[in-house]
Amino acid sequence: MNRTAKRTLRSARLAWPWLVLIIISAILILLRDSYPQIIAYPDGLTLPLADWVNVGADWFIAHAQSFFRALAEGLGFAFILVQNILTGLPWLTLALIVALVAWQGGGNRLAALSVAGLLYVLISGYWVQTMNTLSLVVVALPLAVILGFAFGYLGYRSKAARKIIMPVLDLMQTIPAFAYLIPILLLFGFGPVVGLVASVIFAAPPMVRNTVLGFQSIPPAILESARMSGCTGWQRFLWAELPTAWRQMLIGINQTTMATLSMIIIAAIIGGFEDIGWEVLSSMRKAQFGQSLMSGLVIVVLAILLDRITSAYAARQLPTASFAGLPTLHFFGLIVVVTGLSIAASYVIPGLWRWPEWAVWSPAQDINKWTETFLIRYGSAMDTLKNTATYFVLLPVKIGLEKAIVPFTWGVTFVPAAKTAYWAIATLFCLVAFALGAWRLGIALIIGLAFLYFGATGLPWVSVLGFAMLLAYQLGGWRLAAFVGGSTAYLLVNGIWQQAMLSVYLCSVAVLICIVFGGLLGIWGASSKWASNVIRPINDMLQTLPQFVLLIPALMLFQVGEFTALLAIVAYAIVPMVRYTEFGLRSVSPTLIDAGISSGCSPWQLFWQVRLPQALPQILIGMNQTVLYALGMLVIAALVGTTGLGQLIFLALGRADAGAGLVAGLGMALLAMTVDRILQAVVRRM
Amino acid sequence: MKMIQNLSAALLAGASTLGMAQAAEMGAVDTPIKLAINEWTGQHITTHTAGEILKSMGYTVEYVTAGLYPQFTALGDGDLAASLEIWLNNAGDIYPKMKEAGKTVDIGPLGLETRESWMYPIHMEETCPGLPDWKALLACKDVLVTADTFPKGRILSYPADWGTRSADIISALDIDYKAIPAGSEGALVAELKSSAARKTPLVMMFWKPHWVFAEVEAGWVELPAYEPECDTDPAWGPNPNATGDCGVAPPITMKVAWSGFEEKWPAAYAFLEEFKMNTADQERMMKAIDQDGEKIEDVIAAYVEETKATWTPWVEAAQQ
Repeated sequence: MNRTAKRTLRSARLAWPWLVLIIISAILILLRDSYPQIIAYPDGLTLPLADWVNVGADWFIAHAQSFFRALAEGLGFAFILVQNILTGLPWLTLALIVALVAWQGGGNRLAALSVAGLLYVLISGYWVQTMNTLSLVVVALPLAVILGFAFGYLGYRSKAARKIIMPVLDLMQTIPAFAYLIPILLLFGFGPVVGLVASVIFAAPPMVRNTVLGFQSIPPAILESARMSGCTGWQRFLWAELPTAWRQMLIGINQTTMATLSMIIIAAIIGGFEDIGWEVLSSMRKAQFGQSLMSGLVIVVLAILLDRITSAYAARQLPTASFAGLPTLHFFGLIVVVTGLSIAASYVIPGLWRWPEWAVWSPAQDINKWTETFLIRYGSAMDTLKNTATYFVLLPVKIGLEKAIVPFTWGVTFVPAAKTAYWAIATLFCLVAFALGAWRLGIALIIGLAFLYFGATGLPWVSVLGFAMLLAYQLGGWRLAAFVGGSTAYLLVNGIWQQAMLSVYLCSVAVLICIVFGGLLGIWGASSKWASNVIRPINDMLQTLPQFVLLIPALMLFQVGEFTALLAIVAYAIVPMVRYTEFGLRSVSPTLIDAGISSGCSPWQLFWQVRLPQALPQILIGMNQTVLYALGMLVIAALVGTTGLGQLIFLALGRADAGAGLVAGLGMALLAMTVDRILQAVVRRM
Repeated sequence: MKMIQNLSAALLAGASTLGMAQAAEMGAVDTPIKLAINEWTGQHITTHTAGEILKSMGYTVEYVTAGLYPQFTALGDGDLAASLEIWLNNAGDIYPKMKEAGKTVDIGPLGLETRESWMYPIHMEETCPGLPDWKALLACKDVLVTADTFPKGRILSYPADWGTRSADIISALDIDYKAIPAGSEGALVAELKSSAARKTPLVMMFWKPHWVFAEVEAGWVELPAYEPECDTDPAWGPNPNATGDCGVAPPITMKVAWSGFEEKWPAAYAFLEEFKMNTADQERMMKAIDQDGEKIEDVIAAYVEETKATWTPWVEAAQQ
């Protein structure tokens, strides 16, 4: 026996569970024409979980409704109070206060940015809607921050509490908001309160996490000295712990603010208070791109201002901060004086109170016309782009090469000889990898090529379940395998397998694109200071934008469909990939690089053998985030007509079917957590 | 507080029925009547017209934005008083549920002359000779084949949450087409506009009145006209083996109210029972607002003034 044969056999021995599964899958696929239930999970084996949830929810709502309605009345009252103040005050007063607050946090530049942003809101004519949205943010934010802080502190003090809080946070952030809008609507009743409650649920988790992090990272020396100087528990909290954790908590407040705004925009789908999200949504539904772009930009302005101002206050806590602003008392004094003076001025000049009609200017109608002209001129080019992507990328992943290669799409027929050649090459690749001792690569190749051949919707569910569990077992042992198996089984028994696989398909294409292009952009960003300066603001922008604003330009150019959804998902999910790749490559230790250079590496070798392997853990974290972002965006993308779990959640919203929505939402969350756990296991093994 | 108001309104209403037999009392004029504003312009016009007339009767009216489906929860709880243009073909499962539970009531039909069918931009009559007859679709299927539907032809349909009418008709007629759901009304309109501009093939499910017809010239596919037998008798229609092998019955537009509406604002309810919307007027105003960029308040104010002769009898009938 020669050495190659020996190595091949050894590879096969190591890979035996995979080989067994591959053979079982092959048999299943050969039998699929006679037994369709091999591909489509049989209906007879599903559980009516959605119905049970509805029965439970109906019972709970019937008993708890009066309590929640009373709560809603209180929250609604707070909202109306704030709304009356914000819409009642002259625009001049509000603009000056915002400018002052911005100045106090970040100096002249930030103040100028705020003024410019607010002027846009005024000129575009969306002031009232913006104030309505802002009112809800003003009410929701303190609630989310206080609740987040309370649970975060609890999590810091008690390990047992932390064990419960952390998985719940995962759920709160991964279950798509559309799924819990329905039960909230039924419990709290119609109105802005629905958006308020949803945004508190969605926005509290970052506060909890940052609070825990902030308190955990207090240097023990500080606690020691607090004890030595004889602090009581309360004193220690107030004078030692809180000030030290404060900076991290401000970062939490910044993230919570952004999450609140983003959720309030999403909750606009319920309606109830003439907010800016409603404006975007209804103009999008009417295909008025000019209007949706103009109102979408208002959201962008709002997001940027909230982000910059809150992060300016967080940055001011740094010991290196150069700008301190006025002493607090003077600052508040100034605000009072400015408020008084500006109100007085607005009494004299009414145009300072209500922005005059003649000063409103919106190019919305022109934008609509330009879009149309553009589409007439370049529409066929756009279609070619869309069709190429659909035929050669989307369709193969969705229905597999075996069905995607037809004369209509590829211009050729997938003849049996070509199919045989495909499998022969696949087997050959696998054997070569085995012979080289790289059995993992061989297995990955054959599974990848089979996936491409049969498509996400053409795989036997038993095989998917088997491969997912085996992978999980080898990466993280029995516990991970059980979790992955349980999640997969959940999707199966709830009869949402088909939709789940459609979601997997769209997300996997999006994630792949993000990894390739995001990775390249990250490498580019790490290689030059200049590139990094170009990329960073774009990333910041993409990440601060509430998700559904991203749909507008894609929808304008490519109409409804999966390609549009794909673009929107990529735009949103590529950011972490770029960021973490750049960060990972930049933080490779210089000594290692020097060592590489002195041992005579070419730049190419330096990259592949030193920098990339060192940065890999960071890059994997980026990938993980990208997957989570892609799944999060998938639901929003259902607005432009995708199929899959996102659509299912949407349908449930239409029927006010809390059960179906929650079941699909939980399915989505489990999918996200499965990928997350598997990737985390990969990182741990490295 | 709210309860006391309700109670006194109920007492007043009770007292009034004892007094005069038919006359409707004004009821709680100081409590705003909250009217739902949904996502499409036609509905805004209907609602604002009714609302402005209610104001002239002495009521306070508040317009509240509300999603098509979430509004039923609000109507059931009395958080919204009425929604005046519910398309019964598109009311979802929650509308009958609320009505059955006695939480909402139908005030009556709004009277719009509607049509719902497959529709195409007018250049399709050249691309696919034989249109508007539906049988032409059999011959020119290849024109309508697209990437997602191959080997079938594509018929663009309503968003998935609006039901499956197109798919049902396709399977009842047994033709080689596939219904592709659009994500939203905007997506439907965008495709129609771009197809009309670029003369690309398109057949889609649509309805009228709709403002887009002010801009795009369109034809309607003539399916076998709807008759009730079509839904019950498989032998009826071109396909002897299936029911439903015909067009869609013209949808009814309904005015729907919270079940407590009539008791709280009797005269307003009586007026809304009379209130009807003229189709041609609505389409004209849709164009003025959506295409010419006029303000809805101005358009409606002018319209209400103009049509005083039409609605004065409705108000008088309500207040007599």
